[in-house]
Amino acid sequence: MKALPPSPELRRRQGWALSRAACLPILLLLNACGGSNGNQPVNLKGGLPVGAVLSLTGNANVYGQDQKIGLELAQAALKPGSPLPLQLRIEDGGSDEAGATSAFNLLIKGGSAALIGPTLSQQAFAADPIAQRRGVAVLAPSNTATGIPELGSFISRVSAQSSVIAPLSIAKALELHPQIKRAAVFYAQDDAYSTAETTIFQKALTEKGLKPITVQRTQLNDQDFLNQITAALQLKPDLVVLSLQAVDGGNLIRQLRELGYKGTIVVGNGMNTPNIYPICQRACDGILIAQAYSPELPSAANRAFVASYKAKQGGAIPPQLTAQAYAAYQVIAEAAARLNQQQPLQGKSLRQVRLLLNKEILSGSYDTPLGRISFSPAGEVQQESFFVAQVRMNTDGRSGRFALLN
Amino acid sequence: MEVLAQLLINGLSVGAVYALFALGYTLVFSVLGVINFAHGALFTLGAYLTYLLLGGAVGSNGALAGLQLPLALPLWAALPLAGLGTAAASLVVEAVAFRPLRRRGAEPLLYLITSLGAGVILVNLIQLLMGAEAYALPGQLLGALPAVLALGDGLQIRTVQLLLLLVAALVMLLLSLWLNRSRAGKALQAVAEDATTARLLGINSGAMVQLAFALAGFLAGLAGGLVALSVSIAGPYFGISYGLKGLGVLVLGGLGSVPGAVLGGLIVGIAEACVPGNLSGYKDAVAFAFLFVVLLLRPQGLLGRRLVEKV
Amino acid sequence: MLDVSLLVQMLLGALLALAVYLPLRAGQLSLATPGFYAIGGTVAALLSTRAPALAGDGELYPLSSVLLELLLALLLAGALALVIGGPVLRLQGIYLAIATIALVEILRVLLLNSSWFGGAVGIFAIPQPFDGPEGYLGAYGLLLALVCWGCHWLEQQPLGRAMAAIRDDELAARCMGVDTDRVKLLAFLFSALVAAAAGVLAAHYFNSWNARQASFDASITSLAFVVLGGSRTWLGPVLGGLLLTALPELLRPVGDLRLIVFGLVILLGPVLIPQGLIPRGLINPKRP
Repeated sequence: MKALPPSPELRRRQGWALSRAACLPILLLLNACGGSNGNQPVNLKGGLPVGAVLSLTGNANVYGQDQKIGLELAQAALKPGSPLPLQLRIEDGGSDEAGATSAFNLLIKGGSAALIGPTLSQQAFAADPIAQRRGVAVLAPSNTATGIPELGSFISRVSAQSSVIAPLSIAKALELHPQIKRAAVFYAQDDAYSTAETTIFQKALTEKGLKPITVQRTQLNDQDFLNQITAALQLKPDLVVLSLQAVDGGNLIRQLRELGYKGTIVVGNGMNTPNIYPICQRACDGILIAQAYSPELPSAANRAFVASYKAKQGGAIPPQLTAQAYAAYQVIAEAAARLNQQQPLQGKSLRQVRLLLNKEILSGSYDTPLGRISFSPAGEVQQESFFVAQVRMNTDGRSGRFALLN
Repeated sequence: MEVLAQLLINGLSVGAVYALFALGYTLVFSVLGVINFAHGALFTLGAYLTYLLLGGAVGSNGALAGLQLPLALPLWAALPLAGLGTAAASLVVEAVAFRPLRRRGAEPLLYLITSLGAGVILVNLIQLLMGAEAYALPGQLLGALPAVLALGDGLQIRTVQLLLLLVAALVMLLLSLWLNRSRAGKALQAVAEDATTARLLGINSGAMVQLAFALAGFLAGLAGGLVALSVSIAGPYFGISYGLKGLGVLVLGGLGSVPGAVLGGLIVGIAEACVPGNLSGYKDAVAFAFLFVVLLLRPQGLLGRRLVEKV
Repeated sequence: MLDVSLLVQMLLGALLALAVYLPLRAGQLSLATPGFYAIGGTVAALLSTRAPALAGDGELYPLSSVLLELLLALLLAGALALVIGGPVLRLQGIYLAIATIALVEILRVLLLNSSWFGGAVGIFAIPQPFDGPEGYLGAYGLLLALVCWGCHWLEQQPLGRAMAAIRDDELAARCMGVDTDRVKLLAFLFSALVAAAAGVLAAHYFNSWNARQASFDASITSLAFVVLGGSRTWLGPVLGGLLLTALPELLRPVGDLRLIVFGLVILLGPVLIPQGLIPRGLINPKRP
């Protein structure tokens, strides 16, 4: 490329570009000032401001979408008639750490009294410490990795960890099929949930004297599992235990059955969503699943939730993520209402409201679609009922139900 | 021996998907010398179009919730039609993201970014219209065929993947024949070889670029539909996840080489299949390590010609 | 709309853009940036969580420890860049881009498979050297200023001119006596150092670090920063990195259309302003 002397036109354009470039830092500095430190009084116009950070874009978008429905249903059900309704603001946290961090900062600065989210555990490890430092309660609806409530006194979750749920399904499988001798394990090694849960599964298996004969690793984005399946099937397993998400897990089960595996399949909590039906289709039939939420729980709270979900989503059955998001909203709404009754929040500083609300959330007990839940002092959910269900596919092979076993 | 043969079959059937994906990349590369990052999004579009043409209904989360075409086509008709629809989208991508730059003779680097932008728009449009949930192609598409075919000696292959393998082979064959025998195909090759000389010979290079995009789009659509048959549609990022590996396959086989793309796909598939089960965590690294070594030893790829530097 | 933490992310975007820009100035499209970024972050994450000696006794993590991490990360990234730069830089154009993508992917899988690096969850609860985003803003601002100054200085030097000559015509540059291998290697080395330094601070800023930081998507995004900002002077990538990092945040009011508008900007930017926001000749109009 030869450089020609710049034409006057080019010069003008360059001048324009330069002035644009020069303006930018000034603009940025002007905007940078004026962060909130929480000393201003809480703004209760329209309700107590609460933020939610969900993965509405990026490759975790399907989880964020399910969660958004839960929050919207909770809002529709709980807002009317409440003396202190929540003013919910949902922001997209993308599917990475930077997105969740930005959204957390935005909502904290915008005066949220508490936060729901973020969708992924990896995002929580990045974003939760920010809320902790600013003294804002975070209630996680879907983080299941080890160590989330331990991030700080303001961090709690409604999503039960697999350590409680996973062993139940193994026990159930052995109860139904006592002859099981050889267990093969699969998990997605680049997914925080899968890696946390498989540890629990493997420990539970070993304790039952079924040390896994093989552990196969997959990637979250994999869709073909022929190699791993072939390798596992050569060892003639009679129990396959999966810690995978809906899409990759569904595909793995379908391929596993097509390639001739006839034995029992136990899956983890990540597949507790009707989203698996279109993927593994007929092959889903008969799999055992450990659930932190059962659509078939016969409590009044759950019946109302399932009915509202069915009305909105054309008769579909709600996934666990939706129920947990609903529960998170309900916990904050009930805690806020209780708190306001004890000591009216009007006129209190935002900082004080955040602190009080966090305490109130942790001290209460809540009758949610998940069953009755409360929190340990550290913020870990204490849930009364866990479930083991078996998938029963309908004859069309595209829809089914999680039939409770216990 | 049996195990080895089964590995080979697995590798071939996984590799067929990579190969089909890379073929679209390679067509565009051959005429423009650039990579079309919107290819993964077009592949996704093809899968969704196939779903709609087969009579599938849009779930409740997209803006088009409840939409269902009044007709439900059989698979053999839906696949090529979805291919045509994707080809049309590919031409739009060419018109907005490539043509203005080509006219100006812009740096190849810019095409990477404009096509990336086109891909981002496509993926997010799909999410807006169809929601983020998974879709399974409706109907009993393989008819009376069993899900798995036994090849004797305990060897087996999934029927869908055999189908994919056959389509990949057929497409490669037709494409090679067309490129080497037909007038338009030869003109396309001439443009790929040297656009300026081709123009002097009276070949309309703009039309040839459009032809390449249309073909690449058609292949993306066809492949998207077929892969959706095999593994269902995971969501709007369905095709994007093949993008990185497709790129590797493309370069491994040789940029712009049609048989190279197929060979590259099969080799990566087989290389992955050969990773022992207890090291399955390293599968992706194996494919790329292999690519890296090949690049160092033979930069033009396995079947590529040495290209004049463009980027 | 802009708050301090977004500013920090914008400065980080600008640094990553500069890391892509440096080899590009010598005509080399290297997408290894996220790899070196990940190495920097991993070194910082490991040292600050596993080396009690560095923790200090105050409430905050001592700055001197951060500097030590920085030093070690730079040494490691620099050594690695020199080792792999030799064979890799013999490749040209898109082959170099793919080879560097392959390296990043291999690194990602290695990090993921080693329990030492925390696997999929990664390393979390990384101690904080500052008690708020303002401290990071200062640190990143300082780093960015330093790198910008270095780039500006470089562009006046014979080395900078040699880089530009290689970009314009590598063969001609070699004929004129430029040691092209050495110049390209140095550009690659500088890029690695900038990315690693950015990674060290990022690990602290994001409180956690995992293998996903080394991703293909990140490489392409930083390339978009450079292309939109302009790849002829250092000011281009800086501006591109600042603006494009801020854009998705500024677009929050449009809700569901956010990423569609973002895609439109990436698509139309190079079409409408092919030279980028900062074309060549703006800073040094006299330089040939």
